[in-house]
This record gives sequence, C-alpha cells and structure tokens, in this order.
Amino acid sequence: MSHRRAKGIEYDDDEVADYSDEYAEDTQKQQGMYCSLRKLSPEDQVRMHEGKAQVKKALGSSYSVSDKEIEEALWHYYYDVSKSVSYLKNLRPPQQPKKPKQASRFDQAANSAASTQKRKPDATGTHFSFVSARDFFKDTPWLQLPDHRRGNITLEPVVPRLRLLGGSSKPSSKLAALAAARKKKEEEKRAAAMPAIDTSAQQQLPDRAISLLDRLGSRASGESNTEKNAHLSAPSGHVSEKFQPRSYPVRPRKEPSSSRPEEPKETATPAPEPTKLEPLPDIKAEPSTFARIMVGAHPSSHGIHNRSKEGSFFSIPYADDPEFTKRNPFTGPSPDDVVVNAQSKGVKSDKQKAKPKEAERITNGISHVDHGKSTLMGRLLYDLKVIDQRSLDKLRKEADAIGKSSFALAWVMDQTSEERSRGVTVDIATNSFETEKTRFTILDAPGHRDFIPNMIAGASQADFAILVVDAGTNSFESGLKGQTKEHALLVRSMGVQRLIVAVNKMDMVSWSEGRFQEISQQMSAFLTSAGFQPKNVTFVPCSGLTGGNVVNPPPEGTMLWYTGQTLVQELDASETTKRAIEQPLRLSIFDIFRGGVTNPLSVAGRIAAGSLQVGDQVLVMPSGEKATIKGIEIDNGAADWAVAGQMVTLHLTDIDPVHLRYGDVLCSPSNPIKNVKSFTAKILAFEHVLPMSVEVHQGRLNVAATVSRLVAVLDKSTGEVTKKKPRAVQPGAVARVVVELENAIPLEGRVILRAGGSTVAAGLIESSS
Amino acid sequence: MTDRRRINPPPGGTHPPIFASTLSTPSALRPQRPTRTRQPSELRKIFLQTSLVPSASGSAYLELSPSSPPSAPPSSAAYNPSALKLTCTIHGPHPLPRSAPYTPHLHLSTTLKFAPFATRQRRGYIRDAAERDLAAHLETALRGVVIGERWPKSGVDVVVTVLEGEEDGWWGDDVGGGEGAGGGGKGIGGGWGLMSVLAGAITCASAAMADAGIDCVDLVAGGVAGVVVEAGRTTKGKGKSGEAGLGTVVLDPCPAEHEEVRAAAVVGYLAGRDEITELWVKGDVGADAEILIEKAVEAAVSSRTVLVEAVREAAQAKFIQPAENGAAVGSKKGAGSATADVVMSG
Repeated sequence: MSHRRAKGIEYDDDEVADYSDEYAEDTQKQQGMYCSLRKLSPEDQVRMHEGKAQVKKALGSSYSVSDKEIEEALWHYYYDVSKSVSYLKNLRPPQQPKKPKQASRFDQAANSAASTQKRKPDATGTHFSFVSARDFFKDTPWLQLPDHRRGNITLEPVVPRLRLLGGSSKPSSKLAALAAARKKKEEEKRAAAMPAIDTSAQQQLPDRAISLLDRLGSRASGESNTEKNAHLSAPSGHVSEKFQPRSYPVRPRKEPSSSRPEEPKETATPAPEPTKLEPLPDIKAEPSTFARIMVGAHPSSHGIHNRSKEGSFFSIPYADDPEFTKRNPFTGPSPDDVVVNAQSKGVKSDKQKAKPKEAERITNGISHVDHGKSTLMGRLLYDLKVIDQRSLDKLRKEADAIGKSSFALAWVMDQTSEERSRGVTVDIATNSFETEKTRFTILDAPGHRDFIPNMIAGASQADFAILVVDAGTNSFESGLKGQTKEHALLVRSMGVQRLIVAVNKMDMVSWSEGRFQEISQQMSAFLTSAGFQPKNVTFVPCSGLTGGNVVNPPPEGTMLWYTGQTLVQELDASETTKRAIEQPLRLSIFDIFRGGVTNPLSVAGRIAAGSLQVGDQVLVMPSGEKATIKGIEIDNGAADWAVAGQMVTLHLTDIDPVHLRYGDVLCSPSNPIKNVKSFTAKILAFEHVLPMSVEVHQGRLNVAATVSRLVAVLDKSTGEVTKKKPRAVQPGAVARVVVELENAIPLEGRVILRAGGSTVAAGLIESSS
Repeated sequence: MTDRRRINPPPGGTHPPIFASTLSTPSALRPQRPTRTRQPSELRKIFLQTSLVPSASGSAYLELSPSSPPSAPPSSAAYNPSALKLTCTIHGPHPLPRSAPYTPHLHLSTTLKFAPFATRQRRGYIRDAAERDLAAHLETALRGVVIGERWPKSGVDVVVTVLEGEEDGWWGDDVGGGEGAGGGGKGIGGGWGLMSVLAGAITCASAAMADAGIDCVDLVAGGVAGVVVEAGRTTKGKGKSGEAGLGTVVLDPCPAEHEEVRAAAVVGYLAGRDEITELWVKGDVGADAEILIEKAVEAAVSSRTVLVEAVREAAQAKFIQPAENGAAVGSKKGAGSATADVVMSG
C-alpha cells in the first residue's frame, strides 16, 4: 500500500512538471514570441515579408510603427493584412489628425477583438498570480488544470465589453458624448460633496433613495449593457436633459411620503444631490478561494458545455486526463463482469477438459436374484484394490459367523443389516473404481422382483449394464423366466444400449464351453428380440466368487477355449456414450444427506444433462424452490464443477430441506423442467396395456397414474399408425397412449409403467402438459 | 433503541473551541470588534455564479465577501469574520407523484438548510423552526415571479444550502468580550443574520431559476436594510429618535459590525416591474418603516446588477459555443442582445 502511494506521489509530481512546462510554452507563445523568425517555416517567412510590405503601404507614413509590431500583428492575424492594419492603427494614434481613411465598423470590431486578444496573456498572468493558492495545493493535480478548464474566467466580463457590444470604441453620437461629459462632471462634483453627506444623511434619506435608485439604474444599464441603455432611453425623449435615465419606473410610493413638510423641497431640487462613493462597479466580487474551488472546476462556459455533451451526469474535472483514465478503476470490466466472463469461459474450457477425460462411465449390474451380481461387484472392487484385504477379511469373518461365508464379497456392496441377513440386495449401492483408461462407477441394483423400482432407479442412471446370469443348471433357466428377462427389457427401455452379459459361476460348471455357448445363444436370441443390437452385446464367462476372468485371467488350464477378454477389459473397451453437456442442467436427486456439520444439506445424483459449478443457483422441481450450490463432491473429492454423466454430491444452501425429496429434479432456473400432469408417450408394451391405473417410474420418481386413453398402435419399425383407438395394446406392440398423473411431477424423456408388481410398458414422452 | 450504527454528535451542538490563552480581558478583545468601513449605502461585494451543480437542472452559488478583512490572521477559526456563502439547486420541473392531488400551477417546494458548520452556533441535521421560516419566506418571494400556469401538475424543488451563515452578532459579545455599555454584552441573538441569509437566498435562487430555464416574469433580487445604532452615536441616536428614527439606516447590515441592530427589512424586489414579492420587517422600526423598506429596495436594485451579470454570463455560456480566444468576437455582439432578450422578456 505504502509503495503504491509513494508511486502515486512521484507520478503527481511529474504531472505538475508537465503542466507547468505546457503553461510556460503557452504563455511564451501568447506573449508574442512568434518573432524569433528562426522558428518560422520558409513559407511563413515569405508570407511575413509580403504581408509586412503590404501593411506598411496601407499604413502610410502617418503611423510610426516598428517592423516588430507589424510582424506581431501579422502573426496574430495569420497574415490577414487588413486586420493587422486596423489593429496597428488602433495601436498608435495617427500623428496627423487627419486620417487617410475612415475605419469601417467592421475594422473597429476587429480592432476590439485585437484588444481582447492582447489582453489574453494578462488573464493568464492573473492566473499565475495565485501563487499562494497554488503553493498550498501543490500536490493536488486537479488545481493544475489546463487553462481552458479553469474556473476564474470572471475576468472576462470585467473588461469593457462595452466596445464589443457597441461595436465602436468611440462615442457614437453627440448624445452619448454629452452624457459622458455630464457623467464626468458629476463625478467631480460628487467627490467634492462627499464630506457633507454623512452629517446630512438622516435628513436626506428619502431623497438619497431616489437619486441612488436613479443612479443605480443608469449604472446597471449604462455600464453593463449599452444596448439596453439605448433601448430604454430612446423613448424618454430628453435624454440630454436628465441623463440618469430611470431604468425602472418611478415608484408610486414616493408620492405619499412627499407629503411630509421637508421632503417636497428636497425632491424639488432640480439636480439629484450627488451622493458618495459608487458601490456598483465594485459590487461584483472576485470569487474567494473557497468559491474558486467550488465553481473553479466548473467554469460556467465549459461546465455547461460539458453538461450538454455528457447529459446530466456529474463529470469529474480531471476525468479527461489520460493518466486519470489509466488509473480509473471503472475503465476496465467490473469485478462482476470478470466473474461472468470467467464463468462463461470456464464452462467452455471445462467441457474441453472433460472430453478427453470423459472416461467416466456408469455401469449397472443387473440380473435375476442370487445370480451373483453383488459378489461379482465385490470381486471387481477387491481385485482392483478399491477395498483392501483387511476389510474383506473382516467381512469374511462376519459372514462366517452367520454361516454365509460365500457372501463375504457381496457384502462389500450390500451394507445394510437387512440386506446382509436376507442375503439379497435391496437398495442400489454405488461404488467406483478406476482402470488404467477409465473411471467407473458401478451401481449394484437389486435383482429381487420386490425391488424392481430401485432397480429402475439404478438403471436409469447407467451408461451400460452388466447382465449377470448364472451358468448353473436350472438357475439360468429360472432366471430367464424371471427377472433376467424383465431387467434386460427395462434397461433397454431406459435407453441403455450396450450390454455385457457376464456368465457367472463358471467355476460351478467347471468352465464348460458347451454351457457358455448354450447360454450365449439363448440370451442373444432373447436380447435381439428385446431390441439390443448384436454388436452391442458381449458375453464374458467369469466367476465372481473365485475371481476367474473378472480382473485377472481365468486359472491356468481351465478355459483354454476362451480367447476373449476379461470382464474389466471388456468394460474398458466399451464405447463412451455422448453426454448432453450443452443441454440445460438436469439432475435427478438420487439421495439426500442431512445433518452434516459443515454441509447440513447434500444431495447426490447423476447429472443427466448440462453442467454446474460451485455458486450456481439451481431450481428444485416440483417444489420450484431455488437453492445455491455451496460445494460439489465427485468421488469423495471436492470439485469446482461437474458435467453431464458424472455422479456428484452437491452441498446446497438457501433452501429448506422439506422442499427436497428423492426423485426431485435440479435444473437451471433459466431453463426449468416442467411439472407434468399428463403426457402422451410412445410405449413399448411388455404386457397387455388397457386403460388402467399404473405407476409411472422415472429414476427415483414414481407416482400413481392412469392410462386414460390409447391413441393408436404404431408400426414397430416405421412408427406409422397402424390402428387408431385400440381397445388394448398387445405385449410387444408399440403404441401411443395418454397418461394422467395424480400429482404434477417433473418428467422428461423415458418412463416405465408398472402395474401390479410387474413392468407393463416402457415409454418415451412425446408431449406433456 | 439508540442508534448504534452512526457516531452521533452531542445533541446540543458544539462550539469551535476558544482557548483561554487567546481570551484576554474584554478590553483587550475589544479592538478586535469589527466595524463597518463601508458607506451606509454600500453593499458588500457579491460573487454569484450559476451552473455549479451539473446534476441539477439549475444551480447557483452566492458569496458575500467579508467587508472588513482582518488585519492580522485570526488566531482561531472561531474568530472568522462573518460572511455569507450559500448554494441553491433547483430540481425540476418534474411530474408530481400520482398520490399528489391535481394542481393547475407549478408546485414550488423550497427547502433551506444551514450546514451544521454554517454558523458559530452549530445546527442540527433536522431543520429547525428558523430554517423552515426562511424557506417559507423564500417560497413567497419566488412564487411571485414564477409563471406557474405553464406547468400544471408539476413541481419544482428549490434547495438552498447555507454553507456559511451570517452571524447574529459579534462573537466577542457571546464570550463576554463586549462591554456592558450600549448594546454590547447582551450576547448574540435576535436572528439578524437570518435577514441577510434570506436576501442572499432570494438572489441566488433567482439566478438558479434562470439557470434552470423556468419561466419567470422577472429576476427577483433580495435586498436587506437595517436600522443600526453605532457605539459612539448611541445616545445621540436615542435623543433623536423622536425626529428621524432610532438610528442610522444602512444597506446590507452585517450584525457583527454593529453594536446593536434595531430593525431590519428584507425585500424580494422585481426591478423590471417595480414590484415587491416578499417583505419581512423585523424589530422596532418606529414611524419610518417606509424609509427602511425603500433602503432595502435600494439594496435589492444594487444586488440585481450582479444577478443580471451572472445570468447573462450563464446564458452566454449556454447558448454560444465557448469561443476560442477571439474567434467568436463577431457573434458575441449578437449574444449580448440575445441575452438581453432573455433577461427582459422573462
């Protein structure tokens, strides 16, 4: 700080020096220092010589004017000979009384111009004579203003502008000459009569009032404005008789007061009693130092000019100074602008950064119950060193204690006591791991039919799915009849296209190629019918319990027939899906955490579209409340921003927790998601669809609804209407239906319709209201 | 609940300190008493300039220079000779708020406020009775010149800020420096300074009105005259009171310079129409009230010259491009007449 200030002072000093140099230069010029002809260009010298000769000729011999004066005049009038001549004529009275030529009015006007001009340097001189004030404010640069910005132009009216206005420097009429003579006489008289006044003051009061009034009138009009004077005095006729013309009508009140005994006599005295000192010429004061500061920065001429130019804003006197603008904090973008610019830029760069790194994928493990999803997930995590040996040992011990030692790995994902005691996954568990290329988040979805809604919630967030099927005899078949089929249909209708079928428990069938092929064929037949493209489906034999072909290759000599990749390699090879980063923000709340000390309210979910960063404001739908993002956590690490496709935990502020529920959607306030009460959807029916009551699922959201109308049955491939107003939609058919919701909820994109514990249809919302 | 957000001054106001070291005996203090060096009919010099505040539609600054500058620099700021400095800003004409009832005339609202430091007796931030009174007087003076019919449903705010106010008397009287004899030793009071302030405010507001371009029938100039009793002439004056008055009638009295002010009159005078829009007489005038008023009119006529000059300057600056050196000499002539027109037509 002190450093800066010191710099500022130095700088100001420079400024002072600069200005004074300028001034010195100016005054020098103005004081007629054209005359060192050394400075003149050759052209100017020629013109000067020619002009001089002409002027001399015009002046003739009657004027004694030096060459230097002529040059000076020419310089000032830019070699205008006639102007210079008239100026010089005025400068020196002719030696002979008879002039060669009567000067025209124009010349005289020019002449007076010349006199004003000549006075100019004086004015500046007066300027500089305020040495005390200048010294006093030496370090304040705004007093060192250039001449044209100075306030004290009050000198100008003081100089006899009479001549400018009158146009002639000498009395123009006999009348005026008479008046002038009379005035002079009166002044002498007045000077003589002065001492007598004081004693007689009291008796003469009314009289003096009249005379003074008259005189004031004459002064006011005569001194400052000849034209007005002429105008006023013209009608009054005998101007020569009483040349103190009343500029204002006589006041009638005079008459009553004249009823006093003495006064008629006094007023009757023919010539007004001459009175004392003239107050009027002096009554206009020079501004004091204070006034100079008050108005000095704002000389009337330039001030008003500026005002009209800049509107009615207050202009700082030194605002035009380039040095000031350089330092002016308002010249650059405001701090807000900086932030906004950075934000807009930042979002862009975030995306650019995100793209190469957009390896983040969400994998959903799905299968029929007990086919070993959780175990497979636990194996993945364990082999990839996400969980250490020690905690796995602990889980093993606990699992041994209740006689389910094979569940140890599954318990990595299934952490609640209910899940552990029942041995099934109930709610979605998430965990993440990293391979060399990619970062994965895995969701372990429940397989049991009772927990299908939870599975939908998980599947809706997934980029691709691992369908786990049990290779064991009977298990596979029962699964295919059970949830394996439903899950596959669900993930497909949720928009998941890529599927890895992990044929699990291969160790149970002693890594038999036959069994693997059999399962592959059956599954691919089914999956193709469900809408998966064969190239997007991969089959990987593995064993979650032993870890064969999950991360590590299968045990030596067990699976010589298999030439494909391990599960993890397969995951790595899967293509990345496109992220809707450019779209407005959509984040479905998957989980809500409350009661943290530093972050009392946090929500977790996957950003479906858009991007967000710390400090953003988000709108929570359906409640319509706004919240501010205080912090972002990605994989237990703080982050400044997040983009579509990432699983994030957001710490929110400025919102009451009652407005947040599972399944609510966070969106950008500028592009909010609509609350939907009814919608038209194109559905793929899994079972018979009649006008009936259903449950609409999307992510965590689920709400009771009715299929109110079946609009049409569509062609599966072309989408054309094949039958209007059907009575029912057959399983496997595509139809357009209208669904009325009980509550308005934010819905977009894909939905699942379930009824009576099974999935009835999956749909894509076409229009909503 | 006390106001804890601001640092509030003592409620009663404060004086600039006068230290005992500078206060000698009354007799030593007495030579410092200012005396009137002007002639009775001579006004103090006036500085008046318009267009002071760019954000206002019209503004003016008026200053009365102290008539008798001290021979030696004052030992304390408290001893400064009394003078007058005030600014007037005019905002408008602007539409009246919707809530205001319909008015066919220009609604004039005047505010006069002394700066807290304007006089030796400090003023509060709330307008006191004297300030409201002055504002009412000022409004009366201006109401007579403004052509209000031209702005129905609109208002004009006239705000006068007194930066340095005329004192009501010599400060020495206040601190006991005055003598018991004559009118001295009474302490300051009487509000005589307010008269000069009002006269100045009228003149200044008139200039600001012209600057704001509000139609007026004429320029109104303020003038003040007073009946004063000089120290030496006290007895004589009293003796003569039956004949010609109680004391001397002076123009533009500065209360600090006189032993006692008996009466004073302020007028707002339209010289062009010979009309008085505002008259305020105070004190014991005796039978000669008319003389006093005549004198006040005289003072108004004198101050009008400065007013006219200031308005013309402002008009020139406004309507002519600021001339570069002597370039616009030819047009200046035209400007003079144009300005005269502006002033006269009003």
